[in-house]
Amino acid sequence: MNSPGSIPTATLRSPARLMSALMLGLTGVASFLIVAVLLTVLGYLLFRGFGGLSIDFFTRLPTGNPQDPGGFANGILGTLILVGMAALVGVPFGVLAGIYLSEYGGRGLGAWLVSPVRLVCDVLAGVPSIVIGIVGYELIVVPMKGASAYAGAAALAVIMVPIVARTTEEMLRLVPASFREGSLALGATKSQTILRVVLPAAGGSVITGILLAVARIAGETAPILFTIGGSRLLPGDLDKEFPSLTLQIYNAARSPAPSEQQLAWTGMVVLIAILLVLNLAIRLATARAIKNRVGG
Amino acid sequence: MNVEMTKDVVRMTVTPGNPPQPSSPTARPPRVAVGPSPAMRAGSVLQAIREGASVTSAVHPSVHAHPAAVDIRGFELWYGSFKALHSVSMPIPRGRVTAMVGPSGCGKSTLLRSINRMNDLVDGVRTTGALHVGEHDVYAGGVDVISIRRRVGMVFQKSNPFPMSIFDNVVYGLRIYGERRKDVLQECCERALRQAALWDEVKDRLKQSAIGLSGGQQQRLCIARSIAVNPEVLLMDEPCSALDPIATQKIEELIREIAEKLTVVIVTHNMQQAARVSNYTAFMYLGRLVEFGSTADIFQNPQLPETEQYVTGRFG
Ligand SMILES: Nc1ncnc2c1ncn2[C@@H]1O[C@H](COP(=O)(O)OP(=O)(O)O)[C@@H](O)[C@H]1O
Ligand SMILES: [Mg+2]
Repeated sequence: MNSPGSIPTATLRSPARLMSALMLGLTGVASFLIVAVLLTVLGYLLFRGFGGLSIDFFTRLPTGNPQDPGGFANGILGTLILVGMAALVGVPFGVLAGIYLSEYGGRGLGAWLVSPVRLVCDVLAGVPSIVIGIVGYELIVVPMKGASAYAGAAALAVIMVPIVARTTEEMLRLVPASFREGSLALGATKSQTILRVVLPAAGGSVITGILLAVARIAGETAPILFTIGGSRLLPGDLDKEFPSLTLQIYNAARSPAPSEQQLAWTGMVVLIAILLVLNLAIRLATARAIKNRVGG
Repeated sequence: MNVEMTKDVVRMTVTPGNPPQPSSPTARPPRVAVGPSPAMRAGSVLQAIREGASVTSAVHPSVHAHPAAVDIRGFELWYGSFKALHSVSMPIPRGRVTAMVGPSGCGKSTLLRSINRMNDLVDGVRTTGALHVGEHDVYAGGVDVISIRRRVGMVFQKSNPFPMSIFDNVVYGLRIYGERRKDVLQECCERALRQAALWDEVKDRLKQSAIGLSGGQQQRLCIARSIAVNPEVLLMDEPCSALDPIATQKIEELIREIAEKLTVVIVTHNMQQAARVSNYTAFMYLGRLVEFGSTADIFQNPQLPETEQYVTGRFG
């Protein structure tokens, strides 16, 4: 519409253009700052922690001796075990609750439960993890007369369940109703429809939700601070004091000994690397889920 | 939408050409054929319906030539407080293709979905009257909805293959019913795909995802999936409305073929399609069955002028 000579129109539009340029500038600067800050953090972490990476860090136990501080083998293993235990409980509960919220929401017996369950999930997801840690201490550690892997995994599972439940619900809701109709019209029951059509159709994205929750709890410190007790030994009895990477980072970072602090820095690099791998897995799962949905 | 429809029909009822003119030489042979049929008396059945009257459907005796595969008697349905079906009585002949036509929102899908109780999925649906599939009372208390849906297959407006392989799609129903034997599944899969005229196109890629098929192929796959479990009745809700003419033609051929083995009820907006594929045609309006007879009669010799006007595209 704008011929080259139509100066009045151009003038009229120049505030809009200015605004547009300003917008581009602001969003660009903000993005750049965020990336810069993140890179600074990561760079500094690598700068401080990378030097400490050694076979020892992954194979040895912490000695408590500043001259020869050892490694975090027990913490890494402990965190993996804790996260696995939490997922063992949290994933089935979360997925089942998500299925309930999405598929049994509308009607029938127990439909009245849906809103309260959803509300509790949302509230629980917003509870600061230190609160869950202390409540876990009062409700599990005190009655069991001691910290344990069970108590820590329970606290982590409590954080995990609402995340898994809500993402599962959201993902199942994205499955087209026409799939459910097609299955029911063939004489399938509701549970057959959910298990054979709805869940597989949502598959990848439900896994994304699970991985998100796993990544979240793998990096948690507060809930296990009071519940697992920590240990300098390799993970052993689940009902005794238990080691975790985040707890060891926390403790080592507070040590006055530079050699212990070095362990903390290296521990952080390893933790971030673990989370990065999880993140890549999430992206892969999401990409697959999106690909599956095309044309569906 | 209702307003528009009303306007149309009002125009129709005041059209001077509307009263019967048996000897009129104009290009309206059906009108001539109807002659001074008793149903011509008012010429405003639709007007009466719009005013909320319950009208007697003009059901031709010819529909009783075959035993009814689906027998609908005085069937009414409410969505909450909205009455969507008004005392529909309609014996759907066995082993034939029956088309349901009528303006949008007249209850064709609702009636179709009543036959396999898909309306159960909608909150607040209430029904009265009787609906039998064969000798089974579909709305009897304690009836097994699952077993009804195994007898009555359904193909939807938008093709809905599951996001799994072509093979898994076709044998889905069989697996649901507990069939595990691989050779049986394979045999049924091939037979259903052949019946759906899809076998040659997909036989080399049965393990590939059904999502990669074209729209017409997807719809034929859905037909294969439905007929794989040997239903007595196949319901089709505008199965071609999202397809191009060539894909549509294939489906129409298919409908004529499968109708040799089962009863087909098809909702369509396309009068030519109804004329091409169906043996019987039902004309519905605002939740009522207006006229039901053999397709030849409905298109060439309807009892009601309203039916003639609708099927010749002069309203609706
Ligand atoms: N789930 C529903 N809830 C409430 N009203 C509905 C529902 N489905 C259809 N209707 C209403 O019932 C009437 C018939 O709809 P429908 O059977 O879909 O008509 P058609 O298939 O002939 O276009 C319409 O007025 C429509 O608005
Ligand atoms: Mg419809």
